[in-house]
Amino acid sequence: MKKILFTILVVSASFALKAQELAQDQNPNYKVSMDKYTAAQATLQTTMNTTVQNTYTAYDWRIAKSKRKAENRSYRRERALSNQYYYNNNYGYRNNYNQKYYRHRCR
Amino acid sequence: MKQIFTIAIATSILLLASCAHKVTRIDPTETPDLSGNWNYTDSRITAEEMINQSLTGKWLSDHLQQKGKKPVVIVGFVTNKSHEHIEAETFMNDLEKSYITTEKVGLVQSGKKREEMRSEKADQQTNSTISTLKKFGLEKGADYILQGSINSIVDPYKRKKSVTYQIDLVLTNIETNEVVWIGDKKISKNIKN
Repeated sequence: MKKILFTILVVSASFALKAQELAQDQNPNYKVSMDKYTAAQATLQTTMNTTVQNTYTAYDWRIAKSKRKAENRSYRRERALSNQYYYNNNYGYRNNYNQKYYRHRCR
Repeated sequence: MKQIFTIAIATSILLLASCAHKVTRIDPTETPDLSGNWNYTDSRITAEEMINQSLTGKWLSDHLQQKGKKPVVIVGFVTNKSHEHIEAETFMNDLEKSYITTEKVGLVQSGKKREEMRSEKADQQTNSTISTLKKFGLEKGADYILQGSINSIVDPYKRKKSVTYQIDLVLTNIETNEVVWIGDKKISKNIKN
């Protein structure tokens, strides 16, 4: 009987202590959240005091024009390189003029 | 003959000098708009506006009234969701500086700088003399966190475009999650290419 009373006393004392730890109106389940964020603290704070760059690409007339020009240039070059008649048909003779293109293709 | 030779040399020197790479020092407050992109002038205008809004906000007097001491702020992250690469540090530093110079708001270190500070403290524990070593666990806890975002709207038509930047800064009470201050600045530009 004494033992049971002692256990009840200890348990109720521990509950009372725990209740004392809580601030006024504090959620008693605060420890669940505290443990969760304490564990993830290092990863969550990596962006602190920095600018997180999450930019998007907006239409710009100059950029669009230069991109079009680059695409056209690349297309013309590809077409020229793939044109076997003009660039590799040397009728058995060595063609020094187009040699750099030929070498480039073989790389 | 000699004269012609001298003139030719002088002309060639002048021509070469005109082709050379040239750098001119200018006043940072008079940064010219060259491309129309975000530049130092925009950053400066934003900083001025944010400092003015932040230090005259009601949150400051409310905090002083409730706690009886100046608030302590920590800087969180700023998300740049605009179409340009913008570093918020340029205007955030001005804002932080104003907090310190006016002595109205306390500031604590955050991010990588704080990590470095703690690492230095850790180093002191084994290398410094007992009388000079700094103890762990005595850092000042912030009352508020300052976070922000940068947004932009681009409206292009042929060679023209109008760009509007919106910079928002939010100050939140760390304990209660209550937003106590929101500062914003809008900058609009018309650009003709």
